[in-house]
Amino acid sequence: MVHLSSLLSKQYHGGHVVIRLALAGHNQANRPFYRIVAAFNKRARDGKYMEQLGTYDPLPNIYNEKLVSLNFDRIKYWIGCGAHTSKPVSKLLGLAGFFPLHPMTVTEAERRRAAALTESSREREEEL
Amino acid sequence: MLQALCSRSLQAARLCAPRRAVVVEVVRGRKSRSDPIAKSKEGRIKTPPPVDPVEMVVLKERYEEYQLIISALRLEFKEEVQRKKYEAETGSMAEERARKEAEEHSALMAWNRAENQRMLQLRLQRVQKEKEEVEQKEFEAALEREQKRQEFIKLKEEELLRLQEEAKHFITLENLDQRIEEALDNPKNYNFAIDKEGRVIKQTVLK
Repeated sequence: MVHLSSLLSKQYHGGHVVIRLALAGHNQANRPFYRIVAAFNKRARDGKYMEQLGTYDPLPNIYNEKLVSLNFDRIKYWIGCGAHTSKPVSKLLGLAGFFPLHPMTVTEAERRRAAALTESSREREEEL
Repeated sequence: MLQALCSRSLQAARLCAPRRAVVVEVVRGRKSRSDPIAKSKEGRIKTPPPVDPVEMVVLKERYEEYQLIISALRLEFKEEVQRKKYEAETGSMAEERARKEAEEHSALMAWNRAENQRMLQLRLQRVQKEKEEVEQKEFEAALEREQKRQEFIKLKEEELLRLQEEAKHFITLENLDQRIEEALDNPKNYNFAIDKEGRVIKQTVLK
């Protein structure tokens, strides 16, 4: 097992490294921006992290794209050192193709499709 | 009513906002343990969201497959990290790199030693020059002192000679009578007249 050398000089008992989203401190109302970050588990969400591994912009741009950047080399390193990933990061990586597609992504899509179908059938019934 | 505050303006809001029964903060859980349940929620029974069994089975299968793949990926990445570490330490390039680094280090050390030698030489020369200058100054100062001493001696000798000369004309106990006789015999007249133009007339009525 590769030894985790630096736990950022704060004396924690136990804990592990996670790859998760942290709000980048732009302090603008209604304009979030996330950094994909390898941090110690017990740290605050926006607190000191070990390394930044990418970004995620949740608001779509003028071409209706949500931009994500990922540093695959370093993500591989951290997962090789035993980092966990949070759910949204796993979903993003699944959509990117680095991980397999997350089951909940598929399930959510199926649910939405089923809901859309029932909506359209109900509308057609109401028309008739 | 409820103001969404960020942590920094919390203090300001506590000062500005009026005192309420419940503290107005947008932190996890507005109410504490001892706060009573709201009237609209008194008879509420919380139920978990309904689970579709078919979907659940499908979901469980998907999760199993997903977790298998994920753990396999994890092992792969771990192996890759360890391999990289191993290669970095005992790989084919590692020895060459170590050798090159050692060469560079020894070259730099040699250059450093040469620099130190050069600086030493310069320093020695400088120190030598300074010593010589100091010696020179000292020598000159000694000369000056000697010269002054000699001049002083000369002055004093001259004074001594002068005094000796004058001593011949001093009045002593033996000369006393003789000199008195002489003085009485030769009366001197120190009177003189002078006018505004500066003409001195030594001849007077007295003898």
